[in-house]
Amino acid sequence: MYQVEASKVLLKPRLWAARSARLRVPRNVVMLGLVSLLTDVSSEMVATVLPLYLVFSLGASPLVFGAIDGAYRGAAALVQVASGFASDRWRRPKGVATLGYGLSAVGKVALVAAGNTLGGIGAIVAVDRVGKGIRTAPRDALISLSSAKDRLATSFGVHRAMDSAGAMLGPLVAFGILFLAPARFDAVFVVSTLFAVLGLAVLILNVEGKPDRTPRDAAAPSFRAALRLLIEPRFAPLLIAAAGLSVASVSDAMIYIGLQRSIDFDPALFPLLYVMTAIAFMGLAIPVGQLADRIGKVPVLLAGQALLFVAYGVLMMSSVGYLALAFSLVALGGYFAATEGVLTALAGALLPEKLQASGIGLLITVTSLGRLLSSVLFGALWFAVGLQTAVVCFAAALALAIALAAPLLRCAQRAAVDA
Amino acid sequence: MHKRSGKITVALVVLCVVLGGGYVVYAALGPNQTTTDAKPTAGGAAAVPVMVRAVDRRSPTLNGRVFVVEDGEVRRRSKDLACERVYYAGGHGICMGVAPSGVEYEATLFDSQLQPTGKITLTGLPSRARVSADGRYGAMTVFVTGDSYLASPTAFSTRTTILDMSDGEQLAQLEQFSVTKDGKPFDAVDFNFWGVTFVPGDDDRFYATLGTGGVHYLVEGSVGDRTMRVLRDGVECPSISPDGTQIAYKSRLGSQPRWRLRVLDVATLEDHAVAEKRSIDDQVEWLDDDTLAYSYGTDVYTVSASGKGAPQLLVRDATSPVRLSPPGQETSALGR
Repeated sequence: MYQVEASKVLLKPRLWAARSARLRVPRNVVMLGLVSLLTDVSSEMVATVLPLYLVFSLGASPLVFGAIDGAYRGAAALVQVASGFASDRWRRPKGVATLGYGLSAVGKVALVAAGNTLGGIGAIVAVDRVGKGIRTAPRDALISLSSAKDRLATSFGVHRAMDSAGAMLGPLVAFGILFLAPARFDAVFVVSTLFAVLGLAVLILNVEGKPDRTPRDAAAPSFRAALRLLIEPRFAPLLIAAAGLSVASVSDAMIYIGLQRSIDFDPALFPLLYVMTAIAFMGLAIPVGQLADRIGKVPVLLAGQALLFVAYGVLMMSSVGYLALAFSLVALGGYFAATEGVLTALAGALLPEKLQASGIGLLITVTSLGRLLSSVLFGALWFAVGLQTAVVCFAAALALAIALAAPLLRCAQRAAVDA
Repeated sequence: MHKRSGKITVALVVLCVVLGGGYVVYAALGPNQTTTDAKPTAGGAAAVPVMVRAVDRRSPTLNGRVFVVEDGEVRRRSKDLACERVYYAGGHGICMGVAPSGVEYEATLFDSQLQPTGKITLTGLPSRARVSADGRYGAMTVFVTGDSYLASPTAFSTRTTILDMSDGEQLAQLEQFSVTKDGKPFDAVDFNFWGVTFVPGDDDRFYATLGTGGVHYLVEGSVGDRTMRVLRDGVECPSISPDGTQIAYKSRLGSQPRWRLRVLDVATLEDHAVAEKRSIDDQVEWLDDDTLAYSYGTDVYTVSASGKGAPQLLVRDATSPVRLSPPGQETSALGR
């Protein structure tokens, strides 16, 4: 525990220096990446141990945990649109993001103070989800407004790499603490709170609230203007393309389950599938972002989407070896690297400055609803016609979605140039 | 401005490292036991010795030590054996509980002297354990939760492993067996299996629960062939009687996690309720061909399988009852 934190302190200035020297990433983006890293360490620590804690310390049945967790999944999507618009309207993206990060930090403090009842934990999980919903759109808008338009994908790549590094470190820190102090969940919650507070402090102290591309003179946008994004020629095609792509993309969770069924895989190693994908995502996010800035975001985005065909192909194989497994996980990591940040970067480039957060909020909502629909559809198809036929259907749908996305995105880019 | 806020940030980092590190050290030095010292008390008498694991009422999921209740007396038979779920038959036992780390779960296999013979790391929370009457096969069901990397399923699912009890080798998972329903192949993404019971006097067949699409099927399977076939629905956690003619199980009330105990005739598949009217979430144990034992809350009760009579308290502060053969028989070497 000491070592993990200490090495991060040492690493931080060096990381920042190295990145800013070679990559020329704006300081604000690195700081926002650090905020996400610290906050993700905090929330993943809790996410890792919460099921164990509920069942172990409170004697709740796993069914109760499922209910607590499932109750707040949909809420976040709606909050995103509202918080995105609010931060544009008040022209305070940093303020709204601070509210979101602050809520999560407060939730962690509450977990330490009152986390010994089921109702209390339910409320805390809800607060955390709402906090996450509130902060995402204004934070991405800040990243976008801090970067020159031709450096957007690199900036988002750096942010996403740091973000997923935090998500990988969180469980490690949590298990490290429980290794040193067995069954002491309170120690996990205390350290998680400190990470959350630190993330909030970096945001408040080190993130510039009105970065370079912030519109200086524009009037506060009306709700109507934000709504008009839905028919705006330079943004609506992106939303449609993103919706199509997200519905046609099988979620990684489903892919892992499918992979696990087609290979003779020790279930104890199941979390390794997530870890390998996350490592590939983390490693590829920055170079892929740089590539997108150099050769264009649209081709990189579509090529990244096409990487899913590799995973689909492996799912179709009747027996999967470890080499094919590793190959498909790296492809999956590459897919995340080339779509997650690049899509937001594309939105950042297309959206007018004063509607960045609203547009990004809309985009996140559309893609997360698309993914939800995709999971439901894929599960139903798998149940009805079997895994292989379901994969074939989704592969066909993905090919169609990519073919449609290409002209749609070109159309949006042309409209943005004209505007 | 950058310089000053940078300094404050570094100071905060140092403060957090000191506070967090200090708290972890304080926690590491403090109490952190995973096993309770609780001891069960006898509340009634049974015709056969019964093995249980002790429960701490205040922390019911701490590991409890293994005790044997015999002639109204509770005796501890082992110094170390402690867990959440225990089963024993034919000279071999399984004890599933929290590992010393407090975050992992493990199964300890033990012999007729209650001496540990091996450990298996579990991939989830202990749920059900069974050993075939001849001590050849074991079955363990755990609750598995999806990990939280990226976007992942957070719903719980179950995983059931068949063990070779002679060496602890994990032979197969029920998820890998092929299932048929009405003679046709049956498969779905949401298949979950739990609650195995081995047919006594048969070294291959077993019954279990298959949950899919909100329906809970009774399946009959073969360990050797790696196959299962669906018999009927509405059956969870089957437990077969010592003479192999009846199956006790829990029957779900609507879609709620509430159950009633029922008993099913294997030959006719007809069933009837027993006198226990409370919701029981347990895999029942047969003490003889007419007596069911099960836990409710933190106590163990018995009830007649015939549907007559009333539930009776057997052991207080214990769960996971296991029938031990009466004294004088081979498998009762336990502790004697």
